[in-house]
Amino acid sequence: MPTIAVDAMGGDQAPEETVRGVADVSLQTDIDCLLVGDEDRIQAVLERVAYNPEQIAIRHCTETIASGDDPRESVRTRRDASLLVAIRAVAEERADAVVSAGNTGACILGAARHFRPLAGVRRAALAAVLPRRAQHPGQDPLALLLDAGATVHCDADELVRFAVMGSAYARRVSKVPAPRVGLLNMGGEPSKGGEVLVETHRRLAALPGLDFVGNVEGHELVTGRADVIVCEGLLGNVALKLFEGISEALVDLARAAAERKLVWRMGLRLLAQGVDSLQALTDYRRYGGAPILGFEQLLLTCHGRSDARAIANAVKVAAKAVRDRVPAEIAGALGGGWR
Amino acid sequence: MKLPHRRPRPAPAPPPLLCRWDLDKTYLRSEFDTLRQLIRTARERGEDKVEVPGVPALMKALQAAADRRGRPIAAHFISASPPQIGKAIRDKLALDGVPYDGIVFKNQLQHLARGRFRFLREHVGFKLGELFRGRLEALPGTRELLFGDDWESDPLTYSLYADVVSGRLAPAGLEPLLRRLGVDGQVLPELGMLAARACGLDGADRILINLERRTPPAVFRLFGPRLVPTFNYFQTALVLAADGWLESEDVARVAAALVERSGYTARRLENSLADLLRRRLVASEVARSLGRPLREARLLPPEPRSWRGWMERVRVRLRRAPVVGPQAGPLDYEAIFARMRPGTARAGAQGARA
Repeated sequence: MPTIAVDAMGGDQAPEETVRGVADVSLQTDIDCLLVGDEDRIQAVLERVAYNPEQIAIRHCTETIASGDDPRESVRTRRDASLLVAIRAVAEERADAVVSAGNTGACILGAARHFRPLAGVRRAALAAVLPRRAQHPGQDPLALLLDAGATVHCDADELVRFAVMGSAYARRVSKVPAPRVGLLNMGGEPSKGGEVLVETHRRLAALPGLDFVGNVEGHELVTGRADVIVCEGLLGNVALKLFEGISEALVDLARAAAERKLVWRMGLRLLAQGVDSLQALTDYRRYGGAPILGFEQLLLTCHGRSDARAIANAVKVAAKAVRDRVPAEIAGALGGGWR
Repeated sequence: MKLPHRRPRPAPAPPPLLCRWDLDKTYLRSEFDTLRQLIRTARERGEDKVEVPGVPALMKALQAAADRRGRPIAAHFISASPPQIGKAIRDKLALDGVPYDGIVFKNQLQHLARGRFRFLREHVGFKLGELFRGRLEALPGTRELLFGDDWESDPLTYSLYADVVSGRLAPAGLEPLLRRLGVDGQVLPELGMLAARACGLDGADRILINLERRTPPAVFRLFGPRLVPTFNYFQTALVLAADGWLESEDVARVAAALVERSGYTARRLENSLADLLRRRLVASEVARSLGRPLREARLLPPEPRSWRGWMERVRVRLRRAPVVGPQAGPLDYEAIFARMRPGTARAGAQGARA
């Protein structure tokens, strides 16, 4: 039974939705949770919802890091912040993984400060899941995109490590025996994208044990061409947010159109099931959190707007990753031989 | 001058303890949400029946604690199940080796024969009558513990009973409440008579509700501090120990049963204890003294010895508000009806307008 430390105060709707999510997990699964945050506020929410106290511990702390706070300064000065206390609980082996919907920058810096990096990893990567059209039999409907914002620019060495880490994660969590790895670029030819991407392409193509499918262009992100898409953080974050924005805009446009004409409204009614499934496909709440890869310990960051369902799914993904020994798999793939 | 030797006065015998237990969902993990489950439950034999984890150990612990102090104790089950399943129930209780003194079932055939089907699911009147009768037969000065669950009407039935017995609710005030609950009009005169005889006997100290459905604890605030909702029988044992009915060795017995028979871990028991502390049902000092032998027996994890752990314990103790005792003020039955039985509240309001 893994124990997941949850930053109860992180996120736009914390602690209400965070605590509700953990309460749901306590009723649906055998996962133990350590809620970190203001005990009185956490308890006030708990008493209003159905929960199983046997699987919930609370660690009181007094400070929080808000989404708008400077990550570097906050991590340096707020030792008793819920996020950092949760991270330390994992570092000190009182819990197995962290889930937070709080400040992503503080998550990455906090992990870098308290977690042990895997052998050979210089920089961690934020791995986000991306819904896509499956093209091959048994293919996971989600692709992994990394880095989605832990870094800004990377060199070829770091991108190669991201590819290896992402491939190992997909192998364990998505149960894909040989994940197809692609490099996000502005063209399919190996010579495209500048010095770093050309060098990365050359090295990935030569790497044994990795199913490298070559460069992947923007429009191929939502196809089944690659299970793991590698890029530097700036590009990955822009791609991810663009994708979220487009899917939200599509649903909004459809609703706005329906309000204008009766015929369109009727048409939308007929298409309701399809629109719902499109919305469900792009709904971040279904996919839990994005893991930060590169450490011996696990941290999953969730969307800042996460509700109870998103938090519950993130906790379940974290527990699955712990059970499947994902960091050990990644270390093995990197040749670190950790544990 | 030498004082004449005086024989020490013997300590007064402790008052008798009467424990009243609901059966389904309190003692037994009965499933009857669907017709199929109901039929299966009715056909089960004693060995097929499954108890709620820890409850046999708690009943034995209550008996052992009473025996050590020379306190007379009796345990009675009141079940709304039909007497036709009595044999299987008695077999199950015998298999578990729990000490009990009586068991009463609801005679559903009586209602069926008269075609009064709506009273088949009305249990408040039946249970209240049995509670009054049992109390009137008990020894003078008897104290009572009432055990139920969050599935049907136990919190309401037990609260009405305890309020009448304590004299907070006059027998004349009981009848209109029972009418609104849909209690069979034919039994109301007898209930009124029983209530009048039991009124003022006092001693219904605690109502312990097993949260089998995981109902949010805040729902039960309307019932006052006398009623304690607990998530497992380890928590129930801790509350009873804090009230002085059990000692730490009895709590350890319940904890050990949960670990050995139901797969509980030390950490999950610790979480259960911490939940009681946060809900202010047990004081920190009491939890600490009760927890010590449990930690020695490894039923609870060892306390962290670091200065950080010590600081944390001090900080928690300073932050927590004092524990609320079981003394209940008058209950607001209007609010309870509105929360627990919205239809009843509406009917009452309409009746008042008419």
